[in-house]
Amino acid sequence: MEPLTTEMILVMIMIGVAIFLFIAEWVRVDVVAILMMVALPLLHLVTPKEAFVGFSSNAVISIIAVIIIGAGLDKTGLINRLVRPVLRVAGRSESRVVIAISLTVAGISSFMQNIGAAALFLPAIQRVSKMLKIPLSKLLMPVGFSAILGGTITLVGCSPLILLNDLLEPFHLRPFHLFDVTPIGLALVTSGIACFILFGRFILPRGSMDSAEAGPAPELRHALEELGEPYELHTPADFTHYREPVVVEDLKRRYLVNVVGIIEPPDFKLLSPAPEAEVRSDIDFLVYGRERDVRRMAEEEGMMLKDALEVFKDDVSDTTSGTVEAVVAPRSPVAGKTLNQINLQDRFRVTPLAIYRHGETYRAEIGDLVLNVGDAILIQGTWHRLKLLQEERSLLFTTPIDVELMRPEKALWAGLWLAVALTMIMIFKIQLSVSLMTGALGMVVTRVLSIDEAYRAVDWRTIFLLAGLIPLGIATEKTGTAAWIAHAVLNAIGTVQPIILLTVIGILSTVFTLVISNVGATVLLVPLVVNMAMAAHADPRMAALVVGLATSNSFMLPTHQVNALYMGPGRYRSVDFMKAGIVISVVFIVVMIGMIYVVYGV
Amino acid sequence: MAIITISRGSYSKGKEVAEKVAERLGYECVSRDVLLDASDRFHIPEVKLIRAIHDAPSILDRFKHGKQIFIAYIRSALMHRVANDNVVYHGLAGHVLLTGVPNVLKVRIIADMGDRIKAEVEREVINEEEARVLLEKDDEERRGWTKTLYGVDPWDSSLYDLVVHISKLTVSDAVDFICQAATRDQFKTTESHRRKMKNLEQACQVKAALVDPFFDVGVTAESGNVLIFTEAGDRQVNKLKKKAKELEKEIEGINNLEVHAGVPIPQDAV
Repeated sequence: MEPLTTEMILVMIMIGVAIFLFIAEWVRVDVVAILMMVALPLLHLVTPKEAFVGFSSNAVISIIAVIIIGAGLDKTGLINRLVRPVLRVAGRSESRVVIAISLTVAGISSFMQNIGAAALFLPAIQRVSKMLKIPLSKLLMPVGFSAILGGTITLVGCSPLILLNDLLEPFHLRPFHLFDVTPIGLALVTSGIACFILFGRFILPRGSMDSAEAGPAPELRHALEELGEPYELHTPADFTHYREPVVVEDLKRRYLVNVVGIIEPPDFKLLSPAPEAEVRSDIDFLVYGRERDVRRMAEEEGMMLKDALEVFKDDVSDTTSGTVEAVVAPRSPVAGKTLNQINLQDRFRVTPLAIYRHGETYRAEIGDLVLNVGDAILIQGTWHRLKLLQEERSLLFTTPIDVELMRPEKALWAGLWLAVALTMIMIFKIQLSVSLMTGALGMVVTRVLSIDEAYRAVDWRTIFLLAGLIPLGIATEKTGTAAWIAHAVLNAIGTVQPIILLTVIGILSTVFTLVISNVGATVLLVPLVVNMAMAAHADPRMAALVVGLATSNSFMLPTHQVNALYMGPGRYRSVDFMKAGIVISVVFIVVMIGMIYVVYGV
Repeated sequence: MAIITISRGSYSKGKEVAEKVAERLGYECVSRDVLLDASDRFHIPEVKLIRAIHDAPSILDRFKHGKQIFIAYIRSALMHRVANDNVVYHGLAGHVLLTGVPNVLKVRIIADMGDRIKAEVEREVINEEEARVLLEKDDEERRGWTKTLYGVDPWDSSLYDLVVHISKLTVSDAVDFICQAATRDQFKTTESHRRKMKNLEQACQVKAALVDPFFDVGVTAESGNVLIFTEAGDRQVNKLKKKAKELEKEIEGINNLEVHAGVPIPQDAV
């Protein structure tokens, strides 16, 4: 065994510093990565070129491209269409949603790079979170882990397994077949998802619908709850018979229920109807109101309250419309006027729901109240129209409007470019980064999304986190630190029973993959453990397989690409990965060794 | 079916007409006894109200905002009585007190001075001249009453749907006319009338509960949504809001109650 050099010690110190900073969170994880990127060349542990080689790595470029493709699919509504059948199966239950999406992602990632599957599903999961009001942090981690675990289902699911047969060749060992690992992989995926379903509430961060993710700020959300929810109603065929006409304004006055959408016979959908719009027979209409008020209205006026939104389902989804809080600013031209005078309904087709003044809510006859500086008005409408109101600048919006104007007409182009990218990868075996970037470029060229939108879609936290950790892996390998540690550990345990040897190899691979890349860990460890197993009269193929599988056991730190990708959107902290990761990693090793024991009888 | 108010002077057979109309239509006949209702409902000594009615209205001025308070009480009491519909009211200024009620048939019964004097002479055993003086004084007092309190002249025939002069036309003719008119479509109580009346009753109830000391508020109500309008200053408004909060619990059927300050009081507010 080589002697321990100063460089090795320095590398170990740097790894220690990185892990310590990940946990202590003095700075954000991506900043830790940048720190490594700078410190390692300064310590002469890597060359300056190697320090930044991560930015041009296949993985990082692929992620950038796949994020752009995902954004394009999302913008055209393709993701929505994809999500709907999944939700139909899963219903509204959080567990069922987690299971449905996790299984889908695991299935896809068993044939495709797991980072690709994870990145493509990110927008879909964000949509689901908004639609079902499940915090993103409750969904992303289980799905992300499933994407990683899904890579162990087939021999082409992740890079270490793809490499495995090549690494066995020099030892003249029998190669593995495509589905040899499938029972083990399936068991790993199942146990991983089961852990989240059973213990999710203990191991997942107690996320709330985050303001940035869910739209309204917490105070506003409380106000919105007070104002009620959207409900859809239907009028009977004889609704207008033998009675005075009922108009939108009547319902507001009598029941404090705001009609925000109504069908004009035969089937014209009118959003934010004028106060004098009549409620006709046999039509559907959409209201915002407290349940109590809406029920009272339905009963007294003889309307049918539907159990769920039907006709207007897409009109109240958070992606097309919403409620904002707008404040009357000092020197605003609307101060001193009434809502009736500024006539938002006619000019912008948005519906003012309530006014807040000095801690009090005004819901009734708000059109006549003279607006004071500092009054907050809650306004409902489509994002598009609210944006126009915001641009008028008469009111100050306290809720940012992230209007994403959808481009459903580009859905075909978006689908086509995804297909092109996938064909290049799967059929023509062109490198992942090149194929995906082709798809991303295609979307920009065919105006599925603009290049600026594409840039905005890329999460730089993820890119720097991934690119920054690559030189750390390089340094660990180049200085011989990894090899030294592996030797040290394996020598230390001496000759033991095969099952214990495999367990130690599993743990060692797990630790290595947290710091150096999974490919690096595999390349380094496989020759070592094969020799080791031969010496210990254990099955060398199994030792190699343990390395190939356990290098996917990367859950405790956000260093795996998938974890890095989901860390930002899920607002996870390193501690969150630690908590869930330790449980999943232990289960992983136990299940893996158990399955190898059962399937291969080691 | 309808609400009929009959305005009358003394000895003009108005009471008789009212009672007969009520009898024929099967309606309830309500008179000044609503005042007693008011004294019960709002816990004011009966004597105060009765004196206020019988003496000159100036007595109300002895109380702060006595006039507004008095009207709010009596209006609420009356609205409560007529809310169930099918009522004949003969008494003080029904046509004014029931403003806003859609299906009111407003009737004024007048009689010849000669006939009235004759009737009074018979009843009170006084001479004709004395009777004339008394009647004229009584007429003037009542007229003054309505003018002071409600700002309208009860002798103005444009206030009524029907003015019947009992002279050549008899009491039974008058009863015929009124019953016939009351059954016209225009006076039929529709669902929306009923709704409106309920709303008014609630608004009057809230107003009566607030009027002392918030005499200048306006109240509207619709389907349990009560709005209190005031033009008062901040300090007064805060007190009003506190009181309104209590009312929200006390008065039945309030769904939502808001105080809108600094807003012109709408015309239809109570």
